[in-house]
Amino acid sequence: MYRSTGFLSFLLRRVTGVALVLYLLLHIWVIGGINSGADTFNSRMEFLGKPFFRVLEIGLLAAVVYHGIDGIRLLMVHYLNVTEYRKSLLYAALAVSAILVIAGGLPILLFALEG
Amino acid sequence: MSTTALSVTVRIQRFNPDVDKKPYWDEFKVEATQGKTILDALHEIKEEQDGSVTFQRSCRHAICGSCAMNVNGQNMLVCETPLREHVDRKGRITIRPLPYLPIIKDLVVDRTRFWEQYLRVKPWLIPPENIPEKEFRMSEDEVKALHDAEHCIMCGACYSSCQVVALNKSYIGPHALLKAFLRVMDPRDSAPAARLDDLDKGDGVYRCHTIFNCIDACPKKLNPTEAIETLRKLAMKRQAFEDARRERQQQLNEPIGPVPGH
Repeated sequence: MYRSTGFLSFLLRRVTGVALVLYLLLHIWVIGGINSGADTFNSRMEFLGKPFFRVLEIGLLAAVVYHGIDGIRLLMVHYLNVTEYRKSLLYAALAVSAILVIAGGLPILLFALEG
Repeated sequence: MSTTALSVTVRIQRFNPDVDKKPYWDEFKVEATQGKTILDALHEIKEEQDGSVTFQRSCRHAICGSCAMNVNGQNMLVCETPLREHVDRKGRITIRPLPYLPIIKDLVVDRTRFWEQYLRVKPWLIPPENIPEKEFRMSEDEVKALHDAEHCIMCGACYSSCQVVALNKSYIGPHALLKAFLRVMDPRDSAPAARLDDLDKGDGVYRCHTIFNCIDACPKKLNPTEAIETLRKLAMKRQAFEDARRERQQQLNEPIGPVPGH
């Protein structure tokens, strides 16, 4: 496998994309529970209210944030002739994503720990 | 400047399809003297240590493109690369054939698919009907817009570094798309719309995932990704582009302004 920063971004894009699709299926399963009545919906919500899933929400935040910012990076590549700055752009996308995930992830973590 | 020799372990990926089931590694010791290239080291190994080591090379001046190989994970022309520059901390240098291409033997790969994709984009010039008597006149800006794409030596370093090529065998590839860019942008070419129409297919310009390996791998510092981006934009307005080309070709044999010194 030819290793490069470009390949890293390619992998991250796909992994976060697949993660978001899986989340969407889970989301539809929970919301779809309402068709079977309030009890089903509430039991599904309760199941996802466990600390494990709350912590996993940080992963969801990371996937959403990185995938979105990577999309902006790609738009810049497509329309602004910035291939010369390809590595800096990737590092910037990673840095901005990391800051946003930490800023958003800490409250999620504290909320999950409180129980 | 130091002239002391440095002992280097050259790790070469070996594979002979007649006897080996899978590739394996062989190690050779060479002295990395000042000015010795990786190709020099390979020659030394073949002549003095193991005559069965197989590799491809021709000009030794970084212009034929036959000695492209993967050194420490990066594609490059070994004839122009000093051995010392790529010795790792353990005093080793690792040489593999170009990735994602079928291996014929040791460091020699089968480039059939590479050339098939090249021919697919019709890399030759399709001239207009009214060929000027003496010469085509292109402006400086028109030459600049080609971004030195004509410097490509078809070494395959970009093609075999591309993960999209690895995943999708029908993808045209950065080498052929760069050539297509050269022809599409050339004011002398008279079929840019037909070219862009072919590149607009599922295995053409939109198959590129902007991984940028082609830029990093190119020994001539060319930019296939930017060329692909330009082709994407032109593909969306190909008919207007061709109309503008036809108009431009009406003046191809006209002088393009005052020539310096005349």
